[in-house]
Amino acid sequence: MNKIFNINLGGYPFTIDDDAYHKLDKYLKTIRRHFSGSEGCDDIITDIEARIAELFNQELKGQPIVGMREVDRVIKVMGTPEEFGAVDDTTMDDKSTKKAKAHSTSTESRRLFRDGENKVIAGVAGGLAAYFGIHDALWIRLIFVLGFFFGGLSVLIYPILWIVLPEAKTSADKLAMTGEPINVSNIAKKVEEEISNLSDTLNEFTKEFKSKK
Amino acid sequence: MTIENTKAQMRKGVLELCVLSIIQQEEAYPSDIIHKLKEAKLIVVEGTLYPLLSRLKNAHLLNYEWKESTSGPPRKYYSLTEEGTSFLEGLRVTWKELNSAVSKATKKAKAKTNKSTTQE
Repeated sequence: MNKIFNINLGGYPFTIDDDAYHKLDKYLKTIRRHFSGSEGCDDIITDIEARIAELFNQELKGQPIVGMREVDRVIKVMGTPEEFGAVDDTTMDDKSTKKAKAHSTSTESRRLFRDGENKVIAGVAGGLAAYFGIHDALWIRLIFVLGFFFGGLSVLIYPILWIVLPEAKTSADKLAMTGEPINVSNIAKKVEEEISNLSDTLNEFTKEFKSKK
Repeated sequence: MTIENTKAQMRKGVLELCVLSIIQQEEAYPSDIIHKLKEAKLIVVEGTLYPLLSRLKNAHLLNYEWKESTSGPPRKYYSLTEEGTSFLEGLRVTWKELNSAVSKATKKAKAKTNKSTTQE
């Protein structure tokens, strides 16, 4: 047994399974987030919804209910925002789209990489600067150099980061690297996330340790 | 660098030209455009088209109007603006130049490889 929803998609009524509904909803929200801030966001969403409705009608062939199978198929045909975002990377030059791009990345959280385009040794400082939204990686390098003299901690830390951090190779990586603008609430959020991640891994680690014992 | 990546880059370059040409032939609604592009294998995922259309519209190259449809809700029909028509002409000229330049360049390269294989 499965709960169902009645929805209006692009002017067509559909009956859709609970799980399928949530998947579709998530997909559409991701697209909206991707294009939010760009001038034509609503246009894009209307067009995409209309097309999805058409595809559902084709897929269903008279069947009464949209299920997971149909949603999966449609998402495969339409592609993820990353897939059609890839086109934007090279063909978009005008301001509005740049704004859109900046905006779309700002909603995703930032990831730590080594920046191969901004490096002296391995791009660790460049990546850190991008991660913390510091304009010039020089400051990070300065900290590393100072750390070298005061206690030599950076001798240890730098190689570890070098080994642990992947280099940002694809454009998606690079966008993720320079992600959202830093403000106080973001920093707080980030720190919270990191701490919870860390405690999770620690918990797992201790559990494993105990079970081995 | 992969061959797929390069192919995708090439397709991207001509996508605007193709979309505008399709719309110039007759006003089209997005699914018509999708069908034609898919036939020509110009796009991989359908989602690529919609941001492109919206961008062209915001650049005042395209316009759309809602039209009643015989099967289902009204559809958005896109047409070229005057600006769009001249933009497309510009693209066409460049495409022709590019096309002949590319075929010249690749022909020479081909002739050379043929020559070297016959010499062997």
